[in-house]
Amino acid sequence: MIASISSAILHGVEGRPVSVEVHASEQGLPGFMIVGLPDAAVRESRDRVRAALLSSGFEWPQRRMTVNLAPSGIKKGGVWLDLPMAVGVLVASEQLPVRCANGKAFVGELGLDGALRQVPGIVPLAAVLSDRDVVVPSSCAAEAALVAGGKIRAASGLAELVEALQERTPWDKVVHGERAAPLPQLDLSDVRGQLAGRRALEVAAAGEHHLLLVGPPGSGKTMLATRLPGLLPPLGPKEALEVMQAWSAAGLRVPGGGFPERPPFRAPHHGATEVALVGGGTAWLRPGEVSLSHCGVLFLDELGEFPATVLDSLRQPLEEGVVHVSRARSSADLPARFLLIGAMNPCPCGEGSVAGACRCSDRDRARYTRRLSGPLLDRFDLAVSLSRPDVEDLVTGSPGEPSEAAAERVSFARLEAAARGVRCNSELPMSSLEELVPLTPEAAALLERRLRSGVLSARGFHRLRRVARTIADLDRAGPVVGERQVAESLSLREARATLLVEART
Amino acid sequence: MIDGCAGGQGPEPLRCDDARYAAALACLGAGPKRLREFLDDLGPEEAWGALGAGRHRADPRGEYRAKVRDALVDQVTRACEMSRVSVLVRGSSGYPRDLVEDHEAPAVLFARGDASCCNGRSRVSIVGTRSATPYGLGVASELGAGLAEAGVVVVSGLAAGIDTAAHSGALGARGAPALGVLGTAHDTSRPRSQAFLARDLASHGAVVSEIPPGTAGSPAWWFVVRNRVMAALAHVVVVVECHAKGGALHTVKAAACRGVAVAAVPGSVRSAASAGTNALLVDGAAPVRDTGDVLSLLELEIAALPGISRPQPRQGSGARPRKGGRRQAPNPVAAKVLRALDHDPASLDTVVRRCGLSLGETALALEQLADAEQAVIERGWWSRPRS
Repeated sequence: MIASISSAILHGVEGRPVSVEVHASEQGLPGFMIVGLPDAAVRESRDRVRAALLSSGFEWPQRRMTVNLAPSGIKKGGVWLDLPMAVGVLVASEQLPVRCANGKAFVGELGLDGALRQVPGIVPLAAVLSDRDVVVPSSCAAEAALVAGGKIRAASGLAELVEALQERTPWDKVVHGERAAPLPQLDLSDVRGQLAGRRALEVAAAGEHHLLLVGPPGSGKTMLATRLPGLLPPLGPKEALEVMQAWSAAGLRVPGGGFPERPPFRAPHHGATEVALVGGGTAWLRPGEVSLSHCGVLFLDELGEFPATVLDSLRQPLEEGVVHVSRARSSADLPARFLLIGAMNPCPCGEGSVAGACRCSDRDRARYTRRLSGPLLDRFDLAVSLSRPDVEDLVTGSPGEPSEAAAERVSFARLEAAARGVRCNSELPMSSLEELVPLTPEAAALLERRLRSGVLSARGFHRLRRVARTIADLDRAGPVVGERQVAESLSLREARATLLVEART
Repeated sequence: MIDGCAGGQGPEPLRCDDARYAAALACLGAGPKRLREFLDDLGPEEAWGALGAGRHRADPRGEYRAKVRDALVDQVTRACEMSRVSVLVRGSSGYPRDLVEDHEAPAVLFARGDASCCNGRSRVSIVGTRSATPYGLGVASELGAGLAEAGVVVVSGLAAGIDTAAHSGALGARGAPALGVLGTAHDTSRPRSQAFLARDLASHGAVVSEIPPGTAGSPAWWFVVRNRVMAALAHVVVVVECHAKGGALHTVKAAACRGVAVAAVPGSVRSAASAGTNALLVDGAAPVRDTGDVLSLLELEIAALPGISRPQPRQGSGARPRKGGRRQAPNPVAAKVLRALDHDPASLDTVVRRCGLSLGETALALEQLADAEQAVIERGWWSRPRS
């Protein structure tokens, strides 16, 4: 007898439907074979399936069992196929009527005692199988229900599952996913002083301009960066789903559970490898940090300590918002539209911005800044030097402006951008810059002088105009961009000069 | 005394055997003192022969015998020709005249350009730290330019930081020739960015080194022994910026034991890069505020020396920068921002806090001031321009 059970495996951040066919034959020696390019984890499921069936009180058929994973041309990895295989064996050995499995799909890992275990990537898998009822482990049913609604059937063990399939007992109750409870956010009012840094953060949030913070240790780079998600507008339903998909595919749970409300914030350590950052790997193409920070913030602290090749791998996702991960057997497009915040010291010892305190040799300094290639440095529209806050500011200074006020300006700027047909000003197309960013004669003259003196390159000129547009939106300065906004945009990229000069020596 | 025949300017520097053998002797790896002993009573060719035979008085145990190979002579000759370096044996015509009598004078110098250009001129060594602040770099460059204009030969070490600033200033003034003293070989000088500066110096003065071309490496002691040459060549040593235990203090020590006057540029007591110079001032070094101070000091130092041409100060260069006639800021806001600026570089944040205006207003005022040349930005730091 042949059974055909629907399931799916994960590929990048998407599910791919897989049909698990089980054939039980009276002829030939009893045995259990899996064909259809299984990897080691899938081959191991033979033993798990057998033990789970026996300990749940079913019979292990004394027949020749052949499992085929169709389509058989693609490699299958992961643990999602334990459950469909077990159900297939039950159907093929006639311990379960065929009709019970019809119109249903199964995803889950089995324990030796027959328990159903949680699996990574349940959100994209449920999404791809949502044309039928999806049976999933109870522990990840809530997540799956976020995308597949009422079509999720949950069970916590194989025996209960078979009972429920035969409609003798009800399914486990599925708690419908709600929006995650808002987590406490870090507030900008904790930051004393740092006027330029705060302003840069606000501009970055409003226009999604990538931001580089340069300053000695203790100048508050990390403190500022961690407060950026609080300034960004909350995620829309579509964005929340994309974030869920990426996080689920990486086997992570969105903090708080349910649909994420706030943009994600990821801060990988500088020991991260290229694969960890952009995604990849052998089992399935696991999303990297750039995809986990999709629709959110990727914060790279100690930028100068990341290997240069790892940093350069960010260039393509920064440009396109998508990572194309290609391997010999497969390739995938992973979402990667994130706001990049880099933080670094001015030199290896970190004291480079205090007069005369730095004792790094020129070679050390050049090597440190050379990690940041010119093309990557070009992607940072904003680059700000931070210095350590004054003691008076820390001790007696009044708290800074709260995030709420800044977030309000940011959301106004986003509305202005939306009126221009883009999500944020960094996406303004080059062709319409003249029309959307008109300059006053004084502002144009200032820019021309800076272009002539070589402070500004042609590429920098276009990027600067987008930043000036964002500043004008934040200031509610009207459609024409004035000299003040241009001067401010120039001042918010001055730290580039520090790094460029060092890199040349 | 050997009468070497390397003139310095010729494209074929090594015409005579003396120079070839002297260069080869420098390749044996002996320290400067031992090298002088090799050449004390014998000519280079004789010394080479005696060492090879193990009969040299300065090498009684024959340590250098195995190193003496005739191939070495051709090798170093080729290396010198490749990098257009002439070999100056102590006392030969191209060798700096005032260095000959120094008790630690290098026995052999490798030179690019005309090293005898400093004969008969007053000379000032400008030394200091490699990790200089914009303040130090600015002062070094001004001193270099001012002294070169006044006809003083600026001697420095071609290192990054103060040395480079002083040399660039001196070369920019197109005045007297300048002299660079390398601590490494000509063709392996570090960092590579100095190669251009060395080329310019060679065409408007000279670059000398004790290390034969083709010798790799740069052990720290090479720089220490190099510093004695800078001290020996100078009538006045000016330390611009130097950390509490900076390498420039080796030059100061060498100058002190030769009786050469040491002067120092005062710096902020909060700046680590000025800790060494401020300590020198406490110890009695002459303070230097500008070229005029150096020139008056130089005047005293060379008064008793015959055959040294007097520096020709530019009209008014000895005076303090003139006050008064301060230009008006472009507008009242800019004037407020200008008051918040001083000569110490400050970050934008600091300027904003000092003047109490918004970031946008301050940024605009700073750009306007920059256009009016009343503010400068260097490496992202704002300050007033140097007067």
